Amino acid sequence: MPTGPLPMNTCQNKCVLKVLGVTKEYNHKNIIQNINIHLNQGEFVSILGPSGCGKSTLFNVIAGLLPPEDGQVFVNEKEVTGETGKVSYMYQKDLLLPWRNVIDNAILPLEIRGIPKKEARETVKAMLSIFQLADDGKKYPIQLSGGMKQRVSLLRTTMFSQEIMLLDEPFGGLDAITRMKMQAYLLEILNKIKGSVLFITHDIDEAIFLSDRIYIINGSPAQIVSEMVVPIKHASPEEMMTAEALRQLRSDILKCL
Amino acid sequence: MRKYQNTSDKLIPIVFLLTILILWEAAVNLGVVERYVLPSPTDIIAALIANGSDLMMHAGTTFFEGMTGLLVAVCLSLIMAIVMDLFPVVKKAIYPVLVMSQTVPIIVIAPLLAMWFGFGIAPKIFVVVLVCFFPITVSLIEGLQSVDGELINLVRSMGAKKRQIFTKIKFPSALPYFFSGLKIAATYSIMGAVIGEWLGGKAGLGVYMLRARHAFALDLVFASILVIVVLSIGLFYGIAGIQRVMMPWEKLKEEEE
Repeated sequence: MPTGPLPMNTCQNKCVLKVLGVTKEYNHKNIIQNINIHLNQGEFVSILGPSGCGKSTLFNVIAGLLPPEDGQVFVNEKEVTGETGKVSYMYQKDLLLPWRNVIDNAILPLEIRGIPKKEARETVKAMLSIFQLADDGKKYPIQLSGGMKQRVSLLRTTMFSQEIMLLDEPFGGLDAITRMKMQAYLLEILNKIKGSVLFITHDIDEAIFLSDRIYIINGSPAQIVSEMVVPIKHASPEEMMTAEALRQLRSDILKCL
Repeated sequence: MRKYQNTSDKLIPIVFLLTILILWEAAVNLGVVERYVLPSPTDIIAALIANGSDLMMHAGTTFFEGMTGLLVAVCLSLIMAIVMDLFPVVKKAIYPVLVMSQTVPIIVIAPLLAMWFGFGIAPKIFVVVLVCFFPITVSLIEGLQSVDGELINLVRSMGAKKRQIFTKIKFPSALPYFFSGLKIAATYSIMGAVIGEWLGGKAGLGVYMLRARHAFALDLVFASILVIVVLSIGLFYGIAGIQRVMMPWEKLKEEEE
C-alpha cells in the first residue's frame, strides 16, 4: 500500500525540522492542536488543508514569530521554540521593497545578519543566473511581472537559509499558467540548491506534483489528520491524469478533507 | 496620442487661468470695478516691477523665516513620529493633544507669540513651525503605521532587531507619506511667516503688505500676494523635485502606468 498512512514522527534521513505536540490558541480558542510533523534533509513536504484552517499559524510558530501554548520546535535536534532566525519564510505576497532593486531586495537577509552590503551583493549576483534573473538585477519590483516577483522573493528566501524553507502558498496569487511554470521552476531551483521545503497549499494537485510527502491538516481546531507518501514524484501532466496510484492518492486525500 | 493627451492636460489649467486674467483686465479697464478697489493684472505687474528691489528684500526675509521654520518642523516631526512609533503610550497621550492644538486658530496665537518673544524673527519662525509641524508629523506617523504587517513579520523571522526594522523597512516605507506631508507644510510655511509678520516687525512680505494697505496701494498688496504665491509654489515643486531624486522608483511607477 504505497499511499497508506505512515506512523507519525519517523525520521529516516537526517531530520532537519521537528514539530512536537504544538498547540496554539487565539482568544482562548485553539487554532491548531497537537501538531506533530517532521522534515528530513532534502525533502519536500506539503501541508495540505482548506484555507483559513490555521496553516499559517503553524508556520508562524515554526518561524518563532508566535510562541506556542504547548509543544516544541526542533531544528537539527536543537530546541528553538519561539526563536526567530532559524528558518526562512516566504509568503504568498512577494513583499518586495519597492525602493530597492532586485539585487538589493535579495541581500536583505544578509544585511540583517550584518554582512557588509558590498559582499552581500556579490553573493546575490552569483545566484542570479540560477534563478533565471541574470539580466534583471538592476530592475525595480514595479518593473517585474507577478511570476518574476515571486522568483526574486524565492531568491531572497534562499539567501536567508536554504536548509529549511517555509513556503506559505507562494504561488497562490498567480494565474494558473504562471503557477504551473513557477512550480516547475521551483523544482529546478531546489534540484540545484538542495534545500528542504515545508510547503503550505490548499491545491491538491500542486501538493501531489511537488511533494515527497503530504500532511493533511483539517478540523477546528486544526489537527494533522493524515500523512501520505507520494508514489510518483514530479509526475508529468499525463501521469497526473492517468496514473492509478495518483488517482488513489487523490481520492484518499479527498476523504480526509 | 498619450503624449498629446499629456500636453493638453497641462494646457487646460493655463488656458483657464489666462481666460480669468483677461476677463479681470477687461472688467477693470471697462470700469466695471473701480481701479482703486481692484487693480488690474497689468497694474499689479507694473507695481511689481517698479518696486522689485523692495519686494525682493522683503521676500528674502519671509523666505528665510519660512525655510528655517520648515526645517525646524521637519526635525521635530521626525523625532516626534519616531518616538510615537516606538512607544505607543506616547502616541496615545500626545496624538489627541496634537489634533486639538491644530483647532486653535493661528491668528489668535500669533499675538501671544509676539508678546512672549518680541518683534524679532523668532516669533515668525515659531508660527511657521506651529503650522508646518502638524501635517508632517501626522503623515509620517500614518506612513510608519501603514507598513504591511506580514513584511514586518518576514524581517522579524530573519532575526531583524527593532532598529533594523525601522531603518530598513518602516522609514523607507513611510517616505512617500512624509513627502506628501512636507509638500503641504511647504506651501503653509510662507503663509505662516506672513501671518507672523503681520503682527509687527521690521521686514518681510507681511510687514510690507501691511504698509501698502495703510497707504491704500492695493496694487502693491496684490503684487505681494503674487510673490507669496510664487514662493509657495516654488517651494512645493522644489520639494517634489527632492522627492523624485530620493525616490527614483516612484517615477518608474508613473512610467509603468
